[in-house]
Amino acid sequence: MEYSCTLLNAIFVPIIGAFILPLAGRVSAVIRNTIAFGLIAASLIFSLKMLPAVSAGQTLVINKQFAFGLNFVLVADPLAVFMASISSFLSTIILFYSFGYISHYENQNEYYFMVVLFLGAMMGLIFSANLVLLYIFWEITAITSWRLIGFFREKNHVLRADKAFLLTAFGAITMLIGFVSLYQQAGSFDLSAIKASAQIHPIANFAVMLILFGILSKSATLPFHTWLPDAGVAPSPVTALLHAAILVKIGVYVFARIFVATVTPAQFWQTAVPVIAAVSAIVSAGAALMETDLKRLIAYSTVSQIGFIFFGLSVGNSLAIAGGLLYILMHGIAKAGLFLCAGIIEQNTKTKDITKLGGLINTMPVTAISFLLCAFSVMGIPPFGGFFSKYMVFAGAIGAQKYWISLVFLIGAFMTILYLFRAFNLIFLGEAKMTHAKEGSLSMVTSVAILGALSLLSGLTVYYPSKFVEMTVSHMLGVKF
Amino acid sequence: MGALLLPILIPLIAGILSLLITKRFRILSEVVVLWATFFNLVIAVLLFKNNLTVSLPMTHWGLTFSLRLYHFSGFIMLAVAGFAALIALYSVVFMKGKDHLNQFYGYFLITLALTNGAVLANNLIVMLFFWEGLLLVLFGMIAIGNKMAYKTATKAFIIVGVTDLCMMLGIALTGHLAGTLTMSKIHLPLIGLGNLAFILLMIGAISKAGAMPFHSWIPDAAVDAPLPFMALVPAAFEKLLGIYFLARISLDLFNLIPGSWVSIVLMTIGAITIILAVMMALIQKDYKRLLSYHAISQVGYMILGIGTALPVGIVGGLFHMINHALYKSGLFLTGGSVEKQTGTTNLEKLGGIGTKMPVTFACFLITACAISGVPPLNGFFSKELIYDGALERGWIFYAAAILGSFLTAASFLKLGHSAFLGKLHESNKNTQEAPIPMLIPMIIIASLCILFGVFNYLPLNNFIQPILGTARLHGHNFAGFPTNPFLVLMTAVVIVAAILNHFWGVKSKGSAIKAVDHIHYAPILSTIYEKAEKRFFDPYDIGMQVAQRIAEAAFWCDRKIDWFYEVLTVKITFAFTHSIKKAHDGSYSTYLAWSLVGGLLVVLFLMFSV
Repeated sequence: MEYSCTLLNAIFVPIIGAFILPLAGRVSAVIRNTIAFGLIAASLIFSLKMLPAVSAGQTLVINKQFAFGLNFVLVADPLAVFMASISSFLSTIILFYSFGYISHYENQNEYYFMVVLFLGAMMGLIFSANLVLLYIFWEITAITSWRLIGFFREKNHVLRADKAFLLTAFGAITMLIGFVSLYQQAGSFDLSAIKASAQIHPIANFAVMLILFGILSKSATLPFHTWLPDAGVAPSPVTALLHAAILVKIGVYVFARIFVATVTPAQFWQTAVPVIAAVSAIVSAGAALMETDLKRLIAYSTVSQIGFIFFGLSVGNSLAIAGGLLYILMHGIAKAGLFLCAGIIEQNTKTKDITKLGGLINTMPVTAISFLLCAFSVMGIPPFGGFFSKYMVFAGAIGAQKYWISLVFLIGAFMTILYLFRAFNLIFLGEAKMTHAKEGSLSMVTSVAILGALSLLSGLTVYYPSKFVEMTVSHMLGVKF
Repeated sequence: MGALLLPILIPLIAGILSLLITKRFRILSEVVVLWATFFNLVIAVLLFKNNLTVSLPMTHWGLTFSLRLYHFSGFIMLAVAGFAALIALYSVVFMKGKDHLNQFYGYFLITLALTNGAVLANNLIVMLFFWEGLLLVLFGMIAIGNKMAYKTATKAFIIVGVTDLCMMLGIALTGHLAGTLTMSKIHLPLIGLGNLAFILLMIGAISKAGAMPFHSWIPDAAVDAPLPFMALVPAAFEKLLGIYFLARISLDLFNLIPGSWVSIVLMTIGAITIILAVMMALIQKDYKRLLSYHAISQVGYMILGIGTALPVGIVGGLFHMINHALYKSGLFLTGGSVEKQTGTTNLEKLGGIGTKMPVTFACFLITACAISGVPPLNGFFSKELIYDGALERGWIFYAAAILGSFLTAASFLKLGHSAFLGKLHESNKNTQEAPIPMLIPMIIIASLCILFGVFNYLPLNNFIQPILGTARLHGHNFAGFPTNPFLVLMTAVVIVAAILNHFWGVKSKGSAIKAVDHIHYAPILSTIYEKAEKRFFDPYDIGMQVAQRIAEAAFWCDRKIDWFYEVLTVKITFAFTHSIKKAHDGSYSTYLAWSLVGGLLVVLFLMFSV
């Protein structure tokens, strides 16, 4: 149990620490920012500290029993630690970026409070092995993201935030009904009990459908995706947090947690989910090709890429699952980079309309190169990280004999190249339409440069993440490779 | 195992080094590129004829970092190293004073490293890793050209990127069917899904080689990109790499047999590429653009040759690959020296410079004769082999190939005549011969064109025929003079016809540049040409329009879904609350009525449930 303290710290340091931030902010902004950074960095360090143990095959469990089959269970298995490390790492960079970005605006105390609480809730959700506990953390992320999307408090922004909240909360409630139906079957909300019972009785399709509503709405997949582009009105670090690091990955993570690692839904879902994901990937890629608002464009790209992740996780092939998990990592890094670049562009040119931009590579070289590196990774070009994850998803899907759906996703991959290049060319190349645009502040530029470099490095050193993912998949499926 | 990593690591490190060199020390990047390409050549020579393998397993799912040096990969690496060294020497003079020098040399060397990696790879994913990585440097090399070059760079990136993705799917499918990704262990029959896998891999291979319909960035790049890039990449590296992989999938990974439909698909692509591209080349009025269309057209011969799936055709196709790389990069280099010395490649502003630049002219003459298939130069022998294979598979393919040769000869007569002969153009009065370091690569290449022709047994016996191996050759040896007198006679007729056609054209129109106007402005053809010149048939533009339509439809769907949430749900909610609101009007009698109805329902429920 020596790691149980680490596990609790990873979750509760940010959650409890978040409440100190508004107080600290009354004393000094610098102290508040330092504490906020420290809290998230602590969460990252605690997550990383668990890596060696889980790599060695240990699984850490904290279990406190309550009445009615409710128990407080936290499990740190490879999947959870993998996800926690990604989320807290990206949040650390995004928070560092925020120092430059958010310093121009009001209500900073609230901002840091919400962001840190958001991450804490995410960590809680990741390690929860009880569905009720998971649901509680799920809703905390919904509430914090509602406030963060409407952070600028314009009427229109608040409406968009309401939309995001209502859609995801609707999904969450149907998901809760699904959880209850799992409870009726297994007599417990504990995932290990559900796993044991599901091996005897396969779970009802009805329950799968209800839970999928929740997952798809949170991960912004068709037809529940339109809140995500609308959420682009939030501050850029928040959109990065929502789209790349935390919010949309929740649905994907819970899918992996419940439908891959715990129960195996009926064969039917191995076709149904990929079909939904394929439609989602194509429609949103098309929308990204039409969109002229930079942040909405990248948001549609997220919807499209999430489709690839679901594709990998849902076809029921170990290689595809590994690809899907690796995709979470690669996409997280690259997409966070793209959003943070968008933030620099937006703040320094005062516009998000890509048709009004151009030639910025001369005035913002670091942002331009970082944007390009991240874009290459999302496109799946070697030696960038996205190449390996995309290949593994495709190869796994072929292994699961999903030939036609793979061809549809291939079109999605084509369109990824098109819309990202269209955006890059319109923003950074061609005639310079504004001369006053300058490079972002130091913390912002450093953040995007780190993410751009990581997009490349994650591909060059793909051996390490892929080894870990291999171990994770072997643990999830209970098979030895 | 270390030896095999050298051809990848040396150029890669040198390339990164060159990218890091600042403007002040630009001379350093020239030193770096010369030494790195020289070392690479030495290593390639030393490694040739060796058999080595490296294998480092990485994941459970077949991703193994494995390289394999054997005859075929060693030969391609040698050819690549030779071209790299010659063109590096050329570039050092040509690129002097140009912008982005460090980037150009950096991308140059990284291209070399990745090409070596792709050739050596013995695992399909490792191959794809290097192969697709070339996209990045391709983009970079074109983009550093003139101001609008980034558009062409994007076009190239998108075309090649899309086909590389097809290849990725093909590799996934091949791996699934074969149960391994190790190239030397894959031997699949061409049945069922195998056909799909072959087609997907083939798309990647022929797109890299620049065949139709994946060609349209090449003529644009000829105008926008730095010239040594054209001689290096589309003329040499990409042809070598693309045809290498096409040969690998046709010979090793799959067993392409004559009569299979994929063989007919390949030959058809080859034949169409030959004809359409050379038709476009014929009417060009720019030195480099004309050459670039030939770079497309010639790849048609190689694909046709390999597509025949007959030993004679495959040997011809592979021989043509190396021959084409020689004379086409030679031709581009002559184009470069014309550009450097006269400042233009527009044929209307050139003329009569043959006497001013005799060495360039001589090199042009040899390489142009080689591409036109004039004996005893190398192009003649490889084309004869391809004709032989094509004729055996169907006269229509042969007819396309021979018609292509006629038009090739005609367009080079036009090019040579209008640039080097005829009246000296006023602006070229003070033109001088190109500097020696630029002439050396051209002379070497032109000499090789003669050597590979006159002594064609040298390349055929040492390089080409061992690729197939004695078993596949069935004891044939294709070295020496062609054995089929009919084919040789036809070739001679075609060349004479092209010469007659040229002089007739010149005579009737009065100028060399208009020598083919009777074809250009022939009825029907003129309208097609007009549309082609306006990019009406550019597959890239058509593809973009299709993508745009798909995007519009997708966006419409997306907006409709949003409408459901933004409008419909809101309306329904309002309608619902509105009707409920009406029931709560504050009137005592209404509430009493509701209570009574409610009470009645409770009573009824109790009565019937008991």
